Amino acid sequence: MNSVVCSSGVELLMDYLEGVLPPDVNAALEAHVAGCERCTAFVASYRETPRILRAATAIELPPEIQASLHAFLRAQRRRPPQ
Amino acid sequence: MVVPIADPSDETLVAQAAAGDDRAFEQIVARYESRVYRLACRLTSDTDAPDVLQETFLQVYRKLPTFRGESRFGTWIFRVATNAALMLRRSRARRPAESLDAFMPRFDECGVHAELPSQLQVASRADELLDRQILADKARAGIARLPDLYRDAFVLRDLEEMSTADVADVLGVDAATVRQRVHRARLMLRGYLSEVVGVRR
Repeated sequence: MNSVVCSSGVELLMDYLEGVLPPDVNAALEAHVAGCERCTAFVASYRETPRILRAATAIELPPEIQASLHAFLRAQRRRPPQ
Repeated sequence: MVVPIADPSDETLVAQAAAGDDRAFEQIVARYESRVYRLACRLTSDTDAPDVLQETFLQVYRKLPTFRGESRFGTWIFRVATNAALMLRRSRARRPAESLDAFMPRFDECGVHAELPSQLQVASRADELLDRQILADKARAGIARLPDLYRDAFVLRDLEEMSTADVADVLGVDAATVRQRVHRARLMLRGYLSEVVGVRR
């Protein structure tokens, strides 16, 4: 495989980043991306997407929900085993 | 002189809790409750996450004596939490989610990206371009619109940062399937972020 275009390259990105592509495919993908401004931009946003969404959904456990969890578990432990 | 005592390992706490030591169980809860809650929010919703949290630790309490240490305890508890989340999600009336297919990358007839580099790149700046709270709301809404199979794999792999092998273990599929699902989710959400930022098309 030595003719990567944008559309076929996109399909390889996950395997590329996970390091599971065969070496010749890996090299062909890197060569295409290095010479393609659109793919370079696409890859940057593909890589950043998980980080942005991880940060945006990193919420804390609210104290009232924590307290009700602890109360629930205490009540459960007091119940005799069924 | 007080000698600092290292935190006991998960394995130590699990053995103590399984033998009936409630203090050890409370330490396990304290160690994992925040992570389980965050996972529950990502797999279900803010509304359902407290129920998933309770169900997870109830299951952990009941199943601790059967934990055999074949996987790390952290992976095991995430499996329990994921199953609790999926059970709860199944019990909910499924409202048809608006598909994210429209946000998949587009190509011309030669397979070249249909968008310009500046348009393709902008999703990577969503956190600079959007208000923090707006981004948080949009992120939750976008993840909830993923097909369930993609959502589960994406949440565990990319948001909880589990290894692909551990995600495969938790979801009961092979690594290649995990990679394929995560990939589709990333493509959809990347396009979705571009749309949210407001420059796509």
